[in-house]
Amino acid sequence: MQHVAQLNPAVEAAPAAAVEVRDLGHIYAGRDGPVPALSDISLTVPTGRFVVIVGPSGCGKTSLLMMLAGLRTQTSGTIMIDGRPIATPDPSRVGVVFQEASLFPWLTAVENVEFPLVLKHAPRDERRGRAEAMLNLVGLSGFGGRYPHELSGGMKQRVSIARGLVQDPPVLLMDEPFAALDEQTRMTMGHELLRIWSQTSKTVVFITHSLTEAVYLADEVLVMSARPGRILDRVPIDLPRPRTYKMMATDVFGALRERIWQQIRSTP
Amino acid sequence: MTRPSPRTVRRLIGLMLLVAWEATPRLGLLPELFLPPLSKTLAVLWSDRSLYGAALLVTLYEVAVAMLIACGVGILAGAIVGGVATLRNLLLPVFSSLYAVPIVILYPIFTAWFGIGSESKIAFAGVYGFFPVMLSTAAGIRTIDEQYLLAARSMGATLPQLIARVIIPASIPTVLAGLRLGGALTIIGVVVSEMLTSASGIGYLVTMNRTILDSPRVFAAIIVVLVMSVAFDILVRTIERRTLVWQTAGRRTSSADAAVPARLATA
Amino acid sequence: MSRAAVILIRIAILAVFLGAWEVLPRAGIVNPMLLPPFSTVLLTLGEILGRADFREAMAVTTAEVLIAFVIAVPLGGAIGVLAAENEYFGAIFKPMLFYVFSIPKSIFLPMFILVFGIGFQQKVAYATFSTIFIVIMSASAAVESVKSDYVLVAQSYGATRAQILRRIYIPSMMPILLETLRISMIFNFTGVMIAEMYASRTGVGHMIANWGENFMLPQLFAGVIVLAVAAMAFNELVRTLEARCSTWRS
Repeated sequence: MQHVAQLNPAVEAAPAAAVEVRDLGHIYAGRDGPVPALSDISLTVPTGRFVVIVGPSGCGKTSLLMMLAGLRTQTSGTIMIDGRPIATPDPSRVGVVFQEASLFPWLTAVENVEFPLVLKHAPRDERRGRAEAMLNLVGLSGFGGRYPHELSGGMKQRVSIARGLVQDPPVLLMDEPFAALDEQTRMTMGHELLRIWSQTSKTVVFITHSLTEAVYLADEVLVMSARPGRILDRVPIDLPRPRTYKMMATDVFGALRERIWQQIRSTP
Repeated sequence: MTRPSPRTVRRLIGLMLLVAWEATPRLGLLPELFLPPLSKTLAVLWSDRSLYGAALLVTLYEVAVAMLIACGVGILAGAIVGGVATLRNLLLPVFSSLYAVPIVILYPIFTAWFGIGSESKIAFAGVYGFFPVMLSTAAGIRTIDEQYLLAARSMGATLPQLIARVIIPASIPTVLAGLRLGGALTIIGVVVSEMLTSASGIGYLVTMNRTILDSPRVFAAIIVVLVMSVAFDILVRTIERRTLVWQTAGRRTSSADAAVPARLATA
Repeated sequence: MSRAAVILIRIAILAVFLGAWEVLPRAGIVNPMLLPPFSTVLLTLGEILGRADFREAMAVTTAEVLIAFVIAVPLGGAIGVLAAENEYFGAIFKPMLFYVFSIPKSIFLPMFILVFGIGFQQKVAYATFSTIFIVIMSASAAVESVKSDYVLVAQSYGATRAQILRRIYIPSMMPILLETLRISMIFNFTGVMIAEMYASRTGVGHMIANWGENFMLPQLFAGVIVLAVAAMAFNELVRTLEARCSTWRS
């Protein structure tokens, strides 16, 4: 019976590219007239890939992510997520993990994770079960009853990831999720994220300032230029998986990081 | 030698005040007209308990209705003014400058309009409590972290869901602080107005007995008001603790946010 | 919205308010006995401002307010600084102060009357009493607002105690000190008004209470306008100073 279900045309038509951006441009109204923020952005992220976007501050990385999440509308161009355009937030297709402080302090960890399901009026038992499973996935089983202020920075981001995944969206967007963490926690969290990614086979678009983090995590790194943001370079990361901390000390790793750094440095 | 804990010292001070209240008039340091002994005051309060009880009921009724008005209208107006940027820029500065006016000067107008019964007290205390509730609700809504709204929107929250599940819970701490202050102010407003012009209530008992120089009965009424105010404060703090279990380091935030609205409490 | 538009709309709101105040009683929609038309109130205002007894009452009230202010602010300020500087002292008294806030201070008026009578001193004493607690709290908040980092930096450059006071404490506390002055005046003015309305033979508070009891509403409204304008004028004055002092603050 399962075979029949897989032959269902709708499933078969699932696109090979989870994220497809064509000729995206964005202009916002600044104090002194229109300011071009993004221009000529085209990118394709195949299903299951881990793509990292790096670039100088103010290059529009976050704007791009907001548009992929349907939180902001672009001036021109098209965005297809999972084969369909996205105009408003759709948590069944896209989960978002923010930099920090986006857990609701008045809800416990498990209530935070089930929040998207509450919005969809899912039955209590079902959503609690899903939320517990997600907390388990991110390594926080047993912490569901804690309030955010009772969790460490790393644990909060784990909850945040669990919340992003709870509706099982094919795409997970992450906006500098580990930027506020200390170096050690950040490394651990990167490793954990790769583990979760390999277990769930999501498509991930990840924004960071850290080149080491970018090379360590990505299948492909996209380098963006300063305003107006455009894609300068696409750097495939051919390091084998699973990634290990030891790889960071290799010449290949260093060369990749250097190539990205040169790109960013050369942007005006 | 270690110093006794602040709490112990506070209790000692409280005890000493009570002892002094009893001893000073008994030892003849102060005439009983100025300060009747505590025991005598309590005895009067007990023997006149039905009179004081009836007056307290009147006062509590006025407080309850005024609080309902102050909090209901205050939260509604605060939510509108805090939520709509245009209204906020237009009106908030006006409200905070109106706040400088001693509201008590309006009371003669209210007695002229509504008579000296409960209505004028309710109107006056309602206006008195309205301002802090409105200002802190507006502040609570204005200072909600953008991140919460963005996160909720990314999860597909509709506007009603955003209001019910994010904006309201996120502004509860500030609104509660405003309710505590607004409630305290409505109590103050009712007592002040009863003292000024009225024919019933606890404040009236203070004034009436003062006029006939019956000090024990004045102080008995003062005790009732003190107990009422402190009981209200304890009640609200308990509600706050229950509601805000999720807040970080409850003690510190509660004293910090109390400092801000406390500045608004006149009289 | 531009600044000019905001001001224009505010003026428009005020005009509508005053227009309604004028038209509604004249048209008989509200009882002109209860709400005399605005023009009548303005005429009465002009008349009472010219009266010697009103001006005398104004002088008495102003003197009470100023003297109570001059006593309460330095005294409360000193206690507040002490409470902030001495942790033990602060830990004892601060929670007590929070309770004092929720108590109607007017219930102690009879004691002030018994001790001081119903004259000038009683008004000053009661107003001082009703103001001092807020001054204590604001002053200790002002001291605590001085970032210890700044003090540490100054100390590391070898600043003396006097220099730290002059160069760090005073400038950092300035905006809050002005705020304290502004808020204290609100409390102080309210205290004087309550005392005058409660039991008195002089002062503007006494006059408006009398007008209210005798149903002289044009006079009552005129008196309320005078008091409200005075209160707001002082408030705005201090706020202007505050805005100047805090331009460097975020």
